[in-house]
Amino acid sequence: MCWGVSAVEENDGGRLARALAEISAATDHEALDRVMACLVPVYAIKSAAYMGTGITRNETEPFLAVTYSSDWVEHYKSRRYVEIDPVVHQGFRRLLPVDWNEFDSSSDGLRTFFGEAADFGLGRHGLTIPIHGRGGDRSLFTVTSDFSNRDWGDAKLEYLRDFQLLAVYLHEKVLQLAGQKLSGQPLSPRELECLQWISEGKTAWECATILGISINTVRCYLETARNKLNAVSNTHAVSIAHETGLFFPRL
Amino acid sequence: MILTIESHNRHEFPDLIDQMFEMRAEVFSGRLGWDVSVTNGRETDRFDSEDPAYLLSVNEKTGALQGAVRLLPTTGPNMLRDVFAALVPDGAPESPLIWESSRFAINPRIFADDDRANANHRVNSITLELLCGIVEVCQKSGIDQIVSVFDARMARIFRSVDCPYEEIGTPVRIGKIMTYAGLFEMSDEMWKRLATVGGFDAPVLVSPDAITRLHTLAKKAA
Repeated sequence: MCWGVSAVEENDGGRLARALAEISAATDHEALDRVMACLVPVYAIKSAAYMGTGITRNETEPFLAVTYSSDWVEHYKSRRYVEIDPVVHQGFRRLLPVDWNEFDSSSDGLRTFFGEAADFGLGRHGLTIPIHGRGGDRSLFTVTSDFSNRDWGDAKLEYLRDFQLLAVYLHEKVLQLAGQKLSGQPLSPRELECLQWISEGKTAWECATILGISINTVRCYLETARNKLNAVSNTHAVSIAHETGLFFPRL
Repeated sequence: MILTIESHNRHEFPDLIDQMFEMRAEVFSGRLGWDVSVTNGRETDRFDSEDPAYLLSVNEKTGALQGAVRLLPTTGPNMLRDVFAALVPDGAPESPLIWESSRFAINPRIFADDDRANANHRVNSITLELLCGIVEVCQKSGIDQIVSVFDARMARIFRSVDCPYEEIGTPVRIGKIMTYAGLFEMSDEMWKRLATVGGFDAPVLVSPDAITRLHTLAKKAA
């Protein structure tokens, strides 16, 4: 069911590419929930949660895609924890990833809150990635873990890049499912040009030489192109571009 | 030392934040004559309302503001996309792994009494500290690259502190200012290079203990 669970089967890059592919391929909320559930064994975490605002025009509640038990979600709502939850209060006002150990847990209310969260299955460690969307829309991607303190420190360094990508891909997919995202942000001429050279078997280095620009600039164009197409790799971006007729035939 | 301040903890450092906006007015409007908006001696723009991260260089002994810079994600509103799009007709970078750096300023007041050589040395030193701080913040946030819009003056500063970048897009003259967009790698190599020039043997980002010391300093000064 879930991909990349065996350490032998996938290298780290494969794990991320597969996760992004599954997110991009999700066609409804249930599919997204399944992807979120798979992130748990794949990254050996305790939970994964996406919370979005500004997703639909007249929303009364934020959009949730979470692996939390429905018991915790109900408990959180009945206790109105959104009013004291520092993840929510800080997350929507921040840019840098937020480690939950930054929160001042000296207040009784917060100690109870986090204690109950653990009782309901959340990990002792938590990390929240704030997402700043194109139009100023905001979302949060949160993972929790029961790693040891040292392993958690290492895991954060190793996974943060993955989590930044997962967070934004999730956000884009949620917007798309809500009918908000324009289907396909237009690629700029240079982004398209780099992608077309890649589709013809050139390496990024060769592309840089052909276009007379630096390889870092090529990497930047390709990264932006992948992001706009919600592609998980150059190969994926190329196939999307072919399918949607973006490439011009070379004369 | 470099302090990171975001919207959620701004209220803990009201003096430093005020000093930052005043410094920006002095540097960008007063000294450089840029077309920026100054109210009550403070320069702010709409991107300050997008919950950026600010990096502040603070003097460890006196608690005085030495310089500052602002970081924003390229996935959301940012200067290159929304103000300087003319620089990148081929498209502004937009990626979860690329942030934008803007409003980089060194406080002119701190070396008002210095001779030119000493002033230059201190400008470079604080510049390097801020740049190292940016690399450290990016590395602990999973960010690969920084993009930035800057003028010829800033380009000279990057060269003089040996901070490499790739120019992207095409330079454009905006008013009197020749303006460039550059891409910076947030790599270990970048940090080591900058740290070597700056003489730093440890991370410049401040520890929580140092923040406590800073609060104590601020209280004493008040």
